[in-house]
Amino acid sequence: MAQPIITVRQLSKTYRVPERDAGLLASIKSLARRTYNDVQAVRDINFSLEAGEIVGFIGPNGAGKTTTLKMLCGLLHPTSGEAEVAGYIPWQRSGVYLRRISMVMGNKSQMMWDIPPLDTFRVLGEIYHVPAAEFKQTLDELVELLDMGELLTRPVRNLSLGERMKCEMVAALIHRPSVLFLDEPTLGLDVSTQRRLRRFVADYNRRRGATVILTSHYMADVVELCPRVILIHQGSLLYDGALSGLVERLAPFKLIRLTLNQEQAPTIDGHLPPNVEVLERENGRLVLRAGRAETPAITSRLLDTLPVVDLVVEDPPIEAVIDQIYQEAKV
Amino acid sequence: MNHRGGWALVRSTWLSWMQHRSFFFVLAFGWMIPPLVYLLVWSTAAGSQAINGFTRGEFVAYYLVLILVNQLTYAQTNWTVGDVIREGKISQMLLYPMSPLYNTLSSEFAGKVVYMTFAVPVTAVLAVLLHPELHTTPGHVLAFIPALIFAWALRFFWGYWLALLAFWATRADALLAVQDTLVFLLAGQVAPTLLLPGALRGLANVLPFRYMVGFPVEVLTGQLNGSALWVGFAAQVGWLMIAVLLYKWMWRTGLRRYSAIGG
Repeated sequence: MAQPIITVRQLSKTYRVPERDAGLLASIKSLARRTYNDVQAVRDINFSLEAGEIVGFIGPNGAGKTTTLKMLCGLLHPTSGEAEVAGYIPWQRSGVYLRRISMVMGNKSQMMWDIPPLDTFRVLGEIYHVPAAEFKQTLDELVELLDMGELLTRPVRNLSLGERMKCEMVAALIHRPSVLFLDEPTLGLDVSTQRRLRRFVADYNRRRGATVILTSHYMADVVELCPRVILIHQGSLLYDGALSGLVERLAPFKLIRLTLNQEQAPTIDGHLPPNVEVLERENGRLVLRAGRAETPAITSRLLDTLPVVDLVVEDPPIEAVIDQIYQEAKV
Repeated sequence: MNHRGGWALVRSTWLSWMQHRSFFFVLAFGWMIPPLVYLLVWSTAAGSQAINGFTRGEFVAYYLVLILVNQLTYAQTNWTVGDVIREGKISQMLLYPMSPLYNTLSSEFAGKVVYMTFAVPVTAVLAVLLHPELHTTPGHVLAFIPALIFAWALRFFWGYWLALLAFWATRADALLAVQDTLVFLLAGQVAPTLLLPGALRGLANVLPFRYMVGFPVEVLTGQLNGSALWVGFAAQVGWLMIAVLLYKWMWRTGLRRYSAIGG
């Protein structure tokens, strides 16, 4: 088996956060004596990634995703534990290490506002010491993949959010990093731009064999891009594996959507199998929930006994599954 | 050290700043006003006589040189360092294989070029109108160059280490305002330090502020010779070394704190 490119062992991070009550008196008191509260953002997480993997890092707000990414790209020192990325300890921030990674933060920009993107890219090329020929080749390739040639010479301040995010991607990849951290890269983008960026990340991963860790609250990003997900909640790792496995484990049921012949629909009540739950019912349309194992038997019984016009069996929406985990904090 | 990246940053920051040159021209104009007021006050006060050896024309020369030196050494970038730290923008800089000091230096250098495109012509026009008397020799000009460079470095690093207090305190830039006030009082802006009353002059000679502005002006206008010149250089370089050490220490401990509490 190949050597993992990212190894994380018992990684923990505790923040010390100053605390005080609201009001003037409390603020005066805090001048004299500050009280602190320890907040454990990441607790003893373990995982490893093979080179070339795309992994979705999911969890609700405040779960510890960004803290983990910041430790992996060297911005934060862990409180305890170890991590190794591409053979380096990230928080030592060696120049060689920083040249091998890149991070895109959906809510932060590395573009210079007043000058065209091409100028920012050139500066980055110099900062990362990219040879001229390689710079041109990479830029052409990225610009073509993102179809953004016409944006290169317009000042960044005049670009839309989606156009700017395309620029952020190019800026992050101009030095051909082998590990890419994407922290909510599709934040606030319209669906078609989101889809375009997803395709781009997948293409880039295929072409360059880069390892990608992606955090996103849009499940479409995760479903389309990440064969594997790591789920963290309240700082702890809850699940590490295929997304489909998560759905099966969490939602041991299927949804059956039925459309019935309108005229006979009102008379169906006695014919529904006892082991289904009616989730929705409107005119002749029903949504039923049934146990995964019983679903085949139930569908054939429904087809036999009811005036079925249309029947669809599907997995519950991933959003519902994720919501369930976020609410219950367990897998 | 990543000079290649740093130089590229200077060029792009300059391009970026030239987009807003009118804003920076207004800033440069604002910085010019206090020395200009004192130029008029002292040259009027001197009239046709001399005050402590300064004639009207010498006051004009002193303040015109001071206008340029003040703008060349004023590290206005330090005002933004606190925001960069407070708002977490420094995280992006820390991801680059290059010291974030380059970001600050790039705005410094880019800024100087933009300000000078305003300050030099304006000062030249003032020189034509106000008839300065400049008693300078090639030796003074030669000594002025290192004095100016050290003055800039001292003012920059002194402000930078103060600005780095933002790692601990949210509004550390108040200290930059204190520095500006002390420079105004003790670095030869209100009056040439040679004209300050005894105790204040002693203080000006001991503290670092005179060496940020007044000293190079005194060198170029030929007020300092022999041992006074060498003592001045020694004090300037001494304070510069202290400022650089303070910057290095603040940076190291500040960064440790930043990476512990998160950006």
